[in-house]
Amino acid sequence: MMKKFLRNDPHVRPIGILAACILLLSLADWGQGRFLSMATAFSTFEIFATVGPVALGLGMTMMIREFDLSVIGMFSMAGCIAVLTGAQHPWVGIAFALAAGLAAGIVQGFIIVRLRLGSVGVTLGGLLVLVGGASVLTENRSIPYGNMQVALDLAAQLAGVFSVRSLVALVPFIAAAVVMAVTRVGRDIVAIGSDRRAAMIAGVNVEAQIVGIFAFSGVCAALSGALLSYSLASASVVGISVIIVPAAAAAILGGVSLSGGTGRPLGIAVGVLILAVLSTGFNAVGAPPYANDVAMGAILAVVAMLDAPHLMRRLSWRSR
Amino acid sequence: MTEPLARWPSRIHVRAMPENWRRLVGAPRNRLPAIRAVFILLLGILALTTPGFLSKPSILSLLTTVSFIGCVAVGMTLITISGNIMSFCLGAIVGASAMIFIAAVNWGGVAFGFVAALVSGAVLDAAQGFAIGWARANPIMISIAMLALIYGVVEAVGADGTVYAQAGVSYGMFKGDVAGIPIEFVTFLCVTAIGQLILSFTVFGRNVYMVGGSIRAVDAIGVRTWRTVSGAYLWAGLFSALAGIMLSIRYGSASMDYGVGYDYEAVAAVLVGGTLIKGGEGSILRTLGGVMIIAIIQVVLLLRGLRQEWQYLISGLIVLAVIILHTRGTRD
Amino acid sequence: MAQEIISVDRLCKSYAGVDALRDVSFSLAAGEIRAICGENGAGKSTFVKLLMGITQPDSGSISIDGRVRTIVGPQRAQGLGLGFVAQELSLAPRLSILDNIWLGSADVPLIHRRPRFRARAQEAMELLGIGDWDLDRPVATLTIGQQQLVEIARLLARQARVLILDEPTATLTDAEIERILGVLKLVKARGHSIIYISHRLGEVFELCDSVSVFRNGEHVATKPVGEITRDGLIELMLGRSFGEMYPSVPAHRQAGNAVVVEGLNVPDAVYDFSLTAPSGKILCIAGQIGSGASMVIRALAGLVYGATGRVIVNGRPMRLGAVPHCVSRNVLFLSEDRAAEGIFHRMKVLDNLVATSLGAHALLGVLNWPSLGRFAARLADRVGIDRQRLRAYAGNLSGGNQQKLLFGRAVERSEPGIMLMNDPTRGIDVGARADIYLLMRKLCALGYSLIMTSSDLEEVVGIADIVVTMYRGRAVARYEREGIDMASIMVDITHPTPRSKAVA
Repeated sequence: MMKKFLRNDPHVRPIGILAACILLLSLADWGQGRFLSMATAFSTFEIFATVGPVALGLGMTMMIREFDLSVIGMFSMAGCIAVLTGAQHPWVGIAFALAAGLAAGIVQGFIIVRLRLGSVGVTLGGLLVLVGGASVLTENRSIPYGNMQVALDLAAQLAGVFSVRSLVALVPFIAAAVVMAVTRVGRDIVAIGSDRRAAMIAGVNVEAQIVGIFAFSGVCAALSGALLSYSLASASVVGISVIIVPAAAAAILGGVSLSGGTGRPLGIAVGVLILAVLSTGFNAVGAPPYANDVAMGAILAVVAMLDAPHLMRRLSWRSR
Repeated sequence: MTEPLARWPSRIHVRAMPENWRRLVGAPRNRLPAIRAVFILLLGILALTTPGFLSKPSILSLLTTVSFIGCVAVGMTLITISGNIMSFCLGAIVGASAMIFIAAVNWGGVAFGFVAALVSGAVLDAAQGFAIGWARANPIMISIAMLALIYGVVEAVGADGTVYAQAGVSYGMFKGDVAGIPIEFVTFLCVTAIGQLILSFTVFGRNVYMVGGSIRAVDAIGVRTWRTVSGAYLWAGLFSALAGIMLSIRYGSASMDYGVGYDYEAVAAVLVGGTLIKGGEGSILRTLGGVMIIAIIQVVLLLRGLRQEWQYLISGLIVLAVIILHTRGTRD
Repeated sequence: MAQEIISVDRLCKSYAGVDALRDVSFSLAAGEIRAICGENGAGKSTFVKLLMGITQPDSGSISIDGRVRTIVGPQRAQGLGLGFVAQELSLAPRLSILDNIWLGSADVPLIHRRPRFRARAQEAMELLGIGDWDLDRPVATLTIGQQQLVEIARLLARQARVLILDEPTATLTDAEIERILGVLKLVKARGHSIIYISHRLGEVFELCDSVSVFRNGEHVATKPVGEITRDGLIELMLGRSFGEMYPSVPAHRQAGNAVVVEGLNVPDAVYDFSLTAPSGKILCIAGQIGSGASMVIRALAGLVYGATGRVIVNGRPMRLGAVPHCVSRNVLFLSEDRAAEGIFHRMKVLDNLVATSLGAHALLGVLNWPSLGRFAARLADRVGIDRQRLRAYAGNLSGGNQQKLLFGRAVERSEPGIMLMNDPTRGIDVGARADIYLLMRKLCALGYSLIMTSSDLEEVVGIADIVVTMYRGRAVARYEREGIDMASIMVDITHPTPRSKAVA
C-alpha cells in the first residue's frame, strides 16, 4: 500500500493525501467543531468551484504531455466577457464566455499541432494576450455586474454543502470522467499520453485530439471564470500566480504524472479538494494566513520530488 | 518533360501542392534575419516619429525600467537555454531579496545588505536547480512550489507589507547616474556582458548549451549535469536578486509587489529575442534585443496615448508572432 | 496472373536535402509473401512509412487495387487494407489488449467496448493460437514477443489484406518464431499478402516467395526466392562483394588485456557475464534484442545504476554506475541512438567534437577558443570529416558523418582508451560504413580496445577479431578470429543447446 502511495498510483495517492489532510486538520481543531462543520464544507466547495475546472483543463493537457498556460488568462478574460455581455441575460454572457474559451483553445491547439510547436511557448503567448486583453477591457479596475439576482442565485445553498456554482463546476469533471472511462476518445487520450508515436501509427487522429483537449481546457477555464465573476458581481484581472499555483498543484496532487499518460479527472477533483480543504481548514482552525501558502508549496515540492525520475536511482546509489 | 527536373539539386522539392502549412507560414532559416531587420527598421521609424520619444525624461525612464526586468531576463535566458523552459519564481525572488536587502541594510549596512540579498537569491534558486538537475524533478512544478513557499515564508516572517530603509543611509555610487546614464542601466549592461561571457567563454557555459540540447547525450559523455543546472539557476537567482536590490535602492523601500509579473515579461523578452523555448541554443545578447524591443514598443504605445494595459496584450501578440515565425519548414 | 494489390510508381522522398528514396517502383500481388531486404539506411522504413501514410512522398504515386490513392494517414491506409507492425511496437502500454487491438480503427464507434468488436478480436487471437489470453489484460504485462502477437492480431482483426512486418522476429524466442512463421503461412493461404522486412536471411528463404532488395534509397532488384542464392542476395544488398567491405586485419600481435569483466549482473537483463578484451582488437558481442548485449555495453559505460560486478580496466578497478568515473578511465561510449544520446543537433560540428575535451583546453574554467579550434580541426582530419563542415550544425550532417563525429570525440585521448559501441553502423549507408570500419582499425592500431554489439551478423563476422555470443542475458561462447563462423554464432544467439563452453 505504501509503495502504491509513493509510486503515484493515481487511484490511491490523492485519496490518501486528502484523508491525511482531513485527519490532521481535525486533530488541530481539537474537537472545537470549527473544522468539521457544514460551513467549512460549503467554503471548501466554493473554492472547488473556482479552482476546479481550471485545474481540470490544465491537468488534461498535462496528461497528453502538454501544458496549457493560457487557462490562467482565459479565467480572467471569461469573467470580463461574461460581465460585459451578460448584463441583460446572464445566459448570454455565459454563452459568449464559453465560446471565447472554445475559440482560444482551438486556435492555440491548431497552432501547436499544425506548426509542431511546443505548447508552453504558444500558450504563454496566449496567456499574455488574454491577460492583456482582460486588462484592457477592465482598464485595470473591476467591472461591476449589475444583475445581483444572479449572484444570489449562484450562491444559494443546496443540501447545506453545495451551491449552484459548485454543482455546475462538477459538470466538466463528470463529463471528462465519463469520456475517459467509456468512450473511444478517452482511450485515445491515454494512448496519446503514453506514447504519441505509437498512437499515431495505430491510426489515432492525434492532431484532432490535441486540438480537442486544448479546446476543452479553454472551455473549462472560461466556465470557472464566468461563474466566479457572476457570483462576485464584478470582473477583474486575477493575478497570474494566484491561479497557477493551485491549478498546477491540484493536478499534480490528483495523480497527473508529469511525464504524461496517467491521471484521471476524478483524481484531479480530489486534488482540488485537498487544496480547498487545506485552505478552509486553516482558516477554520485559526491558522495564520501564510500557512496555506507554505503548506501548498511544501506539498507540491514533496510530490514533485517523489515524481522525479532519477530520485530513486540517486538514493539507492548513495546507499551502496 | 521530366528531364529538367531530374537535373535539379535534390534540395529543391517538387511539390504537387502546398500541403504543409508550416512551409507557408514558417520562415526558412535564411530569411529570418531579413524579416528581423525589417521589423527593427519599422520599429525604429515608429519610435523616432513618436513625439516625445527622443526627450531626455522619456529615454531615461525607458532605460531605467528596462534594467530591472532585463536583469531577470538574463537569468531566465540561462534557465531556458538549459532546457528548463522557465521559472515562475524569479519575480518572487526579486521581491524577497529586495526586502532582505532593506532589512539587512537597516541592520548592518549597505555592504552587508548586498551580501545578504545576493546570497539569498542565489541560494533560493540554486536549491531548485539542484532538485531539477540531481533528481530530474519537473522544473515548472518546482518553481511553482518555490513561488508558494517564498510568498508563504515572507508572510510568516511578518514582512508582507512594505519595508522602508532607514533614513540617512548612503548608497554611495549605487544611486544616481554614471555619465548621465542611470546606474541601473549600466548595471544591466554589465549583467548582460557577464552573462554572455559566461555562455560563450566558459566550460560551464558550453555545458549549459549541451544540457539544454540533449540531456541524455550529456549523461553519456559524463558531464555532471546537476552542477550545470544548479549553476544556471544560481546565476538566475543572483541576477534577480540584483534587480531587487536596484529596485529597493531606487525607491528606498521594498515589498513583495516588486517583481510581480516579471517572470512572464522576462520570458517574453527571451522568446522575442529569438531564443527557442526548448533550449539548447540562444544567447544573452538576443535577450538584450528582446528586452529593448518590448520596452521600446511599450514606451511608444504609451506616448501615443494607449493605456498601460495594452502592454501585456501587445507583448503577447509579439511573442506569438515570433514563435510562429521561428518554425522551420524542414522538420518532418 | 495474380492480381496486383499494391503498385508503386517512381516514389521519391528526401529529408532535409538527403535523399531517402529515389525513383522507387514496386508491385505486390495478392497472396504473395515478399521480403524486403537491405541494409540499415537503405530506405526500407521510409518506403513503409509512405505506404502507411505516416509521411507523404515528394513525388510519385501509390496505387491500391489499380487506382492511384493519396494516403493521408495511417487510418486511411488501414481503410485501404494495409496493416503495419513496426519494429518499435506501437502498443499503448497502459491499455488492455482489447483496447490496443482497436486503437485508432475507424470502424469503432464512440462508446467503444462493444460485444461485436470483442468477438472479432477474440477471433483474431484464436487464429494466432493465443485465444486463451485475457483480452482485458494491460499490454504492459506481456513480454515483447507476446506483444508482437497482439500487434499481428490487430492487423487480422481489422481485416488487413496486406500485412507489413518490420523485423518481426528480432526479439522472439524460437518457439515464438516457429509460431509466427506458421501463422504467416496460414495467413497467406487465406489470400492475404505479406511484406516481410528482415535481416534474417534464413527466414526469408524459408517463408517468402520473392525478395526485393533496397540499397541506398533505390529498389535494386526483385527476384523469386528460387532464383537467387544467399551470397547473391548479400551482394545485391551491399553493392559490393562481401569481402571488400571490411578492411584487412594486421598481423596477430600479442597484447595485454585492456578490459576484464567478471560476474557482471544487471537485474532482469544480464546474468553473471564475464569477458576479457585485449587492447588493439575488436570484440563483438553478438546477440538479438533482448539478449542483454547492449545492456552489457551500457553497464560497462556506467549508464546502468543497478549493475554490479567486477571490472578492471587497464589494470585498475573501475566502479560501475557513474559515467564521469568511467570517462576518467578513458572508457568512452557511443550510443546506438546517436540522435537522442550522442549528437547535439543545434550546436556546430566543432562544438560537438570538443564536447568531451573542454576541460583540457580551459584555464580556471575559461575556454581557450583558438586552441579548441585547432584541436577540433585535428580531430576532424583524423576521422575524415571535411574541415568546411566544422561550422555546420551537427543536425544537418548525414548519419555517417554524425557517427564519425562521435568517433572524433574519442580520438586523441591522453592514453589509448576503451570504446564501447552499440550498433555503430546503424542507419548508415555503405560508403560511410566502410569508412567507419577503417576508422575502427586505425583506433585499434593506436592501441584502443573496441567492444561493440551489432544486430547485423554479416558485420559481426566481417569486422570482429573476437566474438562473444549471448542469449537471454548469459554468455554462450567465445570465438577467436579463425574460429568465427556465422552458422555457429547464429545457433548460439537463437537457440543454444545446453553445453558448457569456455567463455572468458
